[in-house]
Amino acid sequence: GQEFRFGPCRVEGVVLQELWEAFWDMKDVVQAQDNVTSVRLLRKEILQNVSEAESCYFIHSLLKFYLNTIFKNYHAKAVKFRILRSFSTLANNFAVIMSKLRPRQENEMFSISENARRRFLLFQGAFKQLDREAALTKAFGEMDILLTWMQKFYQ
Amino acid sequence: DGAAVLPAPQNLSVQSTNMKHVLTWSPVMVPEETVYYSVEYQGEYESLYMSHIWIPSSWCSPTAGPECDITDDITATVPYSLRVRATLGSQTSAWSTLKHPFNRNSTILTPPGMEVTKDGFHLVIKLEDLGPQFEFFVAYWRREPGAKEHIKMVRPGGIPMHLETMDPGATYCVKARTFVKAIGRYSAFSQAECVKVQGESLPL
Amino acid sequence: IAEDNSDLLQHVKFQSSNFENILTWDSRPDSSPDTIYSVQYKKYGEREWLAKEGCQQITRKSCNLTVETGNLTELYYARVTAIDAGGRSATKRTDRFSSLQHTTIKPPDVTCIPKMRSIQMIVHPSYTPIRTGNGHLLTLEDIFQDLLFYRLELHINDTYQMHLVGKKREFEFIGLTPDTEFLGTTVIFVPTWSKESAPYMCRVKTLPDLTWT
Repeated sequence: GQEFRFGPCRVEGVVLQELWEAFWDMKDVVQAQDNVTSVRLLRKEILQNVSEAESCYFIHSLLKFYLNTIFKNYHAKAVKFRILRSFSTLANNFAVIMSKLRPRQENEMFSISENARRRFLLFQGAFKQLDREAALTKAFGEMDILLTWMQKFYQ
Repeated sequence: DGAAVLPAPQNLSVQSTNMKHVLTWSPVMVPEETVYYSVEYQGEYESLYMSHIWIPSSWCSPTAGPECDITDDITATVPYSLRVRATLGSQTSAWSTLKHPFNRNSTILTPPGMEVTKDGFHLVIKLEDLGPQFEFFVAYWRREPGAKEHIKMVRPGGIPMHLETMDPGATYCVKARTFVKAIGRYSAFSQAECVKVQGESLPL
Repeated sequence: IAEDNSDLLQHVKFQSSNFENILTWDSRPDSSPDTIYSVQYKKYGEREWLAKEGCQQITRKSCNLTVETGNLTELYYARVTAIDAGGRSATKRTDRFSSLQHTTIKPPDVTCIPKMRSIQMIVHPSYTPIRTGNGHLLTLEDIFQDLLFYRLELHINDTYQMHLVGKKREFEFIGLTPDTEFLGTTVIFVPTWSKESAPYMCRVKTLPDLTWT
């Protein structure tokens, strides 16, 4: 079967097409709320040239942020826009992925994990520069960019 | 909300076979009245990060029968909490919650239904249609000593499909099992079924 | 009181097929026919809106933005401004557009070659309007690479089918009865992107077996 391979981190039991379909069900509603069209949080330079070894650290940081901050604080909007089902599908599948990621902590991996951390901090920095609600809406609406990046590691 | 006069539904349980999940409970009996039920669910994320949040089930908020097909609500391989309450007019019962959260990886996978036929020298198989989550692995071999087993992945079910062009006079056997990617599990193999081809020899 | 000019502009959206990205829009039937439209576009994340040459002050209700929205790793917006003879105007923006997500796949072009006991099916490359740096047209196979498959079905007297699935472009259904008609269908599918083309169909008859005549 197919699985995610973020370098040494393997994740089975998540069907990427189900995540896409959940996002597409709510895409236009969610992205229509984002009127700051001149800012993109998950910019190309953040996502470009992520090495296999780096990918596990990077996706772990991103998913942790999405689960702890974005999904958690976007929930009220999800109720308002009646997209709870898609919201739950994505949140729970991201939780599955994150629970199966085991980024290595050995010293020799320090420089790699630091690269990944710098990338994540670029994203988080852009997030913090926006007004809180606008940032949540934008990040939630950029999950297609995140899924597109994750797709490269789905084999 | 309305005073909790109605008794809460009891004996909640989930029957899950081939990724179809049905929540059942004992009906709340009120003579000459129709009691309605509402079902809500919580995935692991909701119960960990926002435990006060429950999501109305897609098909059963409300429903009249003492069961609910929750298949469309269970969209990740994580434990799901489920709860039900009864409603009669303005009266509403307390919530009853499933004792043990349900995870779809516990679904029972049965060997697939299978029809093996032949059309001339063509070996044809029709597999049970179990929905888009299912892939079928079909093993077939020519019944003779030391025969090699061939494996084919077939999708979707429900359509008669050519499996092999057979040699005259030979007997071929077939068995199949299912695979569900979302939970990474296989079913057991079905019973093998065999067909024999007439013995005409091909023109030289 | 803000004027309601929504009749001037409706359904501003991209229609994309094999990565040809056309912006289309409507106006209400009773709106004046001499309304003129101007199109702008930009990348998501950039500040400046760019005017689309060739789609300024036009009267038609479509504009080809294939070249301008041809970078597959980018997302885009477009917007249309309508001005009618009375000077009333309205501007409307598309949803965020990603051709990778939105494009539909056209049926492939296939050559079906009947033989006595088999039918050969040759799938031809599906060209897109997207060009590489050195001017070559990209095919769907170039874009999706190992995510793209062909699924071929041969329908046998309406009772069962032969299936072939693969990434190469030459297939052959074997073990067929001579002098018999078959319906062949071919689709392109990219499961990871949940994309599937409509089928290309060919009805062919295997050659008669002249061995004994």
